[in-house]
Amino acid sequence: MEISVRQICFILIFYNAASKLLQYPTLLSGYAGSGLLFSALVSFAVEGAVIWAVAYLSSKTEKTLFALVKDTFGEVAARIVYGFFAVFFILCSVLPLFEHKLYVHAIFYDTVPALFSFLPVFFFTVYAGSKPFKNIGRCADICMPVFILSFAFVAFMSLSEVDYTNLLPLNAAPAKSIFGGSLKTALYFTEPAYLLMFLGHYKYKKGDAARLVLSYAGGAAIVLFFLATFYGVYGGISSSRQFAISKTSLYFSAMDMIGRVDLFALYAMEFVMLFAYVLNIQLAVHCLVRCTGFKSPEILSFAVNAALFAVIVAFDRFYTAIQSLFAGWMWIPVVLFAVALPAAAWGLRRRRNES
Amino acid sequence: MKAELDRRALRRVSVVFFWLVLIALAGLFFTNDFGIVDLHKTSIITAVGVDVTENEVQVTAQLAVPMPSQSGENVEYTAVQGSGETIADALNEINVKTGFYPQLQFCKLILLGDSCKEKNIFQVLGCFYRKNYSELTAKVAMCEGKASDMLSMKTSTSDMTASVILRALSDELKKSANVSGVNLKDIAVENFSVSSAAYMPYVEANKSGTSEEGGNGDNVGGDPPSGGSPEGGSGGGSSGGGSSGGGGQESGGGGGSAPGGNVEFTARKTACFSGGEFKGILDEQQSFALDILKNEIRLAVLPCDAGEYHYTLGLKNVKSKTELKIKDGKPLVTVKFGARAQIAGIKKPVDPAETAADDKLTGEVKEGADREMEARLSSLVEACRKSDCDILGIKTLLYKYHNSHYGRLKDSILSDMEVVYDVEINSVN
Repeated sequence: MEISVRQICFILIFYNAASKLLQYPTLLSGYAGSGLLFSALVSFAVEGAVIWAVAYLSSKTEKTLFALVKDTFGEVAARIVYGFFAVFFILCSVLPLFEHKLYVHAIFYDTVPALFSFLPVFFFTVYAGSKPFKNIGRCADICMPVFILSFAFVAFMSLSEVDYTNLLPLNAAPAKSIFGGSLKTALYFTEPAYLLMFLGHYKYKKGDAARLVLSYAGGAAIVLFFLATFYGVYGGISSSRQFAISKTSLYFSAMDMIGRVDLFALYAMEFVMLFAYVLNIQLAVHCLVRCTGFKSPEILSFAVNAALFAVIVAFDRFYTAIQSLFAGWMWIPVVLFAVALPAAAWGLRRRRNES
Repeated sequence: MKAELDRRALRRVSVVFFWLVLIALAGLFFTNDFGIVDLHKTSIITAVGVDVTENEVQVTAQLAVPMPSQSGENVEYTAVQGSGETIADALNEINVKTGFYPQLQFCKLILLGDSCKEKNIFQVLGCFYRKNYSELTAKVAMCEGKASDMLSMKTSTSDMTASVILRALSDELKKSANVSGVNLKDIAVENFSVSSAAYMPYVEANKSGTSEEGGNGDNVGGDPPSGGSPEGGSGGGSSGGGSSGGGGQESGGGGGSAPGGNVEFTARKTACFSGGEFKGILDEQQSFALDILKNEIRLAVLPCDAGEYHYTLGLKNVKSKTELKIKDGKPLVTVKFGARAQIAGIKKPVDPAETAADDKLTGEVKEGADREMEARLSSLVEACRKSDCDILGIKTLLYKYHNSHYGRLKDSILSDMEVVYDVEINSVN
């Protein structure tokens, strides 16, 4: 087996949380206001149910998704499905790439740097993108302690400034804002698609479905805690504070004396965020390998990253427009590939002799 | 077989390529080609003063300029001025003059001149809240006279005037209820809550080495820096009024760089705003009450009269709270204050034989302290009512905890609320 259940659990906890700490809190507080926790709960509940469905499916079959589709509809259909998944994962990489670029430029530089200073990240993504599932699992192992330490550090520094009553009254946000917020931020909820890709690549043991679902719930708890903290610090102006994870610890009382020590934790957190981001590229390359039958993931990783490179160079100044565009329609592919298709995988032929 | 060999060769090449790239990046990094800032080419904005004219904003930036030095740190401080329709225009002019284009990461103080009273402060400060123009950690204060004049005053303790002003706004003073210290985030969170009110310290300059008389022991200040009397007054003991209009203070009392002497700064008064509009200035006693209710206090000093003597009390274990209840459809606000007090001074000759025992609060002193504290709290509440400025956050309490009554009471709660004071000062011993 290429990846272990433990490593997938780490992905569902730490990558899940890390990918939602940058712009997701800012955007969600803009869409749902003080009802952001309910909006996030709706998203986590829906995705959590699909996670459970996929995890439980893995107890019934050892086949990969490719094999399941192939055995049900034939190889051509399986290649087409993987082709669509590849496009989906590439789409999922676009907005986080822009967010990382803006984040790195805004937080780690004192002046306004050129796009060039961010582009070396592609050397990493090309290299990491070509790596198989075994490496994805190892990276998750490495990221686990890094995330725990850095998040604990940031959370500790944030608590002195929090006023959790900013979330009151609990019924202030209308249902339209809550569900609208969930829909517009759906692009941050793609974990069931990850799990679907891992199907057949790990050995299922009794109780693993519960472990996977609890891990996802753990990631959700971290995000919900951070959302409450972020809104507790900034209240009504939360939606104007970009890159949430770097904003809550700014008011730690010792910071005036010892400087921005929180940057150490933020650097470490960026390391985890980068691995969480690159997982999309790794899965896109995996899908392309299956779809095309082309055996060189290095070339395909280069091609995927070249496409993303072209997008970021061409639309460098249009983050707001791209963000609005993705918020407007990205929920459709997310619902299709991270909710409907993973749930529909139950309808595929799970045994070779199954009619 | 051949394909397998090709793949292996490709992998080997990719690893070599990867290392080459790493070495190249390290080279770029250590040769400063990632745009790492050379300290000798920088000028860091440490504070900005903002004054408004009829159509423009005038920004004075205090800059720290690191200078080459053979021995240790050597920083020069200078002021550069820019103006424009917005603060962003003015800062752009300053950047053009200094040859450096930084984000305002190191700006620790934003000083608003008296003239800002005429405008909505969130129009004046708007650019600081946009995207990532600045972190919202800089302290904000309003000052007597022009901010540019205050930032150019000479002080005896530092070349950097802003750092001396910052000392008057320090967290230590905030924890002793001597200043209502706030930063950019605090005023925005308060203003964009349902209370729509904010406050900030009001900084005054005094001639160094002077002190004001009067005020029943609670006076702070001194002679005005230029010899004249600063408009708006230092108001050592003027507890009445609360929300003075504060209009017509164009020239202010700063009046330039204190010819013939250094200055020192105090910030015992508090400027209040509602919906971003200036509403008035709280005097020292009202500011003390506000600080007590809003901040975490470690040790505060409360002067009071009891019997024939004047006492100075040190307050510890300070606990305060503003509670709102709706009783028979009417708002009832309870202002709670509790503290442990110790006598720090009595206006009578000291008797060493009695000193060990007489720092305990007698009933008479306790009553005097309770009375003084209640007077300060009620003066603050009345000032808020009079100016219709909800800096106590009563509307926010109504919205959060009695949301069903919010629509009915939100417009009238400040005038209609019944206020009860629950003050309990006990002896430390």
